[in-house]
Amino acid sequence: MLEISALSHFYGKHQALAEIALDIASGEIVAILGANGAGKSTLLKMIAGLIKPAPGLTLRFEGADIAELPAHLIVERGIALVPEGRGIFGELTVAENLQLGAYPARARASEADRLAKVLALFPRLTERMTQAVRTMSGGEQQMVAIGRALMSNPTLLLLDEPSLGLSPLLSREVFRALKQIRESGVSVLLVEQNARASLDIADRVYLIESGRNAGSGSAGEMKNNPDIQRAYLGKARAPSSPSQP
Amino acid sequence: MLLFDIALPGLVLGGMYALIALGLTLQYGVARIMNLSYGESLVAAAFGALSLYTGLGLSPLMALLLAVPCAVLINWLLYRFLLERLMRRGKDRGAQEIDSILVTFGVLFVIQGIMLIAFGGQYYSYSYLSIPVVVLGTTLAVNRLVALLFAAAIGIAVYLALTRTRVGTAVRAVAVDANAARLVGIDVAAMSGLTFAFGGGLVAIGGVLISMFLTFNASMGVIFTMKALVVVIMGGVGNVLGALVAGLMLGVVETAVARLVDPGLTLAATYALFLGVLLIKPTGLFGRAAS
Ligand SMILES: Nc1ncnc2c1ncn2[C@@H]1O[C@H](COP(=O)(O)OP(=O)(O)O)[C@@H](O)[C@H]1O
Ligand SMILES: [Mg+2]
Repeated sequence: MLEISALSHFYGKHQALAEIALDIASGEIVAILGANGAGKSTLLKMIAGLIKPAPGLTLRFEGADIAELPAHLIVERGIALVPEGRGIFGELTVAENLQLGAYPARARASEADRLAKVLALFPRLTERMTQAVRTMSGGEQQMVAIGRALMSNPTLLLLDEPSLGLSPLLSREVFRALKQIRESGVSVLLVEQNARASLDIADRVYLIESGRNAGSGSAGEMKNNPDIQRAYLGKARAPSSPSQP
Repeated sequence: MLLFDIALPGLVLGGMYALIALGLTLQYGVARIMNLSYGESLVAAAFGALSLYTGLGLSPLMALLLAVPCAVLINWLLYRFLLERLMRRGKDRGAQEIDSILVTFGVLFVIQGIMLIAFGGQYYSYSYLSIPVVVLGTTLAVNRLVALLFAAAIGIAVYLALTRTRVGTAVRAVAVDANAARLVGIDVAAMSGLTFAFGGGLVAIGGVLISMFLTFNASMGVIFTMKALVVVIMGGVGNVLGALVAGLMLGVVETAVARLVDPGLTLAATYALFLGVLLIKPTGLFGRAAS
């Protein structure tokens, strides 16, 4: 449903992304792993239209070129981003945040229905509807952020480090929610530091290093790849490898 | 009775402050334009009402029907063809703010220059509904009462529209976080333009209402800009309820000081209140916590 190739981006002279290629099929959970500063957030922002890509790339969604579309029209196509740091409206209430999620025309008709689904997914939001989001815990804020994205009736959900700063318990709840979201027919593109949990729920994985594609494969293959285990899963090195600080 | 002698005129003045601060807080909080020509727009609307009244015998309340759509259109064009480009050019919030201050400073002199050419520097007023009535033991001109009623009705309507409707919530969302607003499908540039225009409409209403009972001249716009700014900052930038409450507060305090102490001290009172509020709550009465 999403095809990307030759996507590059410069911040001034600094090249954050170089010739990235990536695709997502309908119904998949795809995870992107990469160190801090690898360019993962930049990639998601470009898909969501927050950063305008330079010409010459391919950025197609459900067959249509979306490279030139501004962010508010990309939401209308069915791509929703839960940005790094959540990007919720802290001064507004949970109910207002969720109502705003359904602002796109594609979401209006099914608003009540979707609200019920979001509250079924995150029941603890139900009694918090009139609370200002900024006064909530990190985990609850992340639920609002994901819930708001789902209110826009997306077919592809992008998430930028949704478990960042959450307790292990709340992280598990977020990953459980992502699985349920996929079961409801929404494809998921997930950027995560928590490689283990991502590999557990993902179908496929892309590695990004210094803004470049550095490998991809099924989550199963990746889990058994010694390089991946070393770099992302914290497994001990082979005894023969030279020790480095 | 002294209490009502202060409270009623205080509320009339405060209602005007609240109304004009409402427009400025929307322009600044949502469209991110620090509009220094704000007071000049108000005086221009006052001159508009004066001309329609003395020239065509049109009542100021009818003038609203003409002045407000004109102001909305002019402000929308100003935003769309000048300010929006600047906003897109500015690298960050700070650069955008400086650009908008410089441009609206220029607009200030354009509007003021046109008014000076057309009306000169002398003071103007006209007499419309200046019939005294006794309300709660206080004598008040009907035009002031009418202005207060309009301000109250408009203030409440705008507040309800912003808090109870989908579009209003979207407007507040842009004020809270413009990037997040784009992610929920809000066309931030379009919404900013409409909000800026709407703020221009509010200040035109303020100008027409004030012209009914205040003596004004072509170069006094800066006073209104300053008062509106004080109210906006005191209430918390971008906060509608804050602008309404701070506006009423300022009106009552100024009237009380003028009445009980000395009319020459109203400006001092304004700033004492302003500083007092900011010392206790640096982000304003209803301001969000500093981030
Ligand atoms: N707004 C920006 N201006 C300049 N450089 C940036 C900006 N955002 C990110 N970068 C740089 O681009 C690179 C990729 O950043 P980012 O996409 O945030 O990486 P990741 O999400 O993988 O940690 C980093 O080197 C970062 O310092
Ligand atoms: Mg990142």
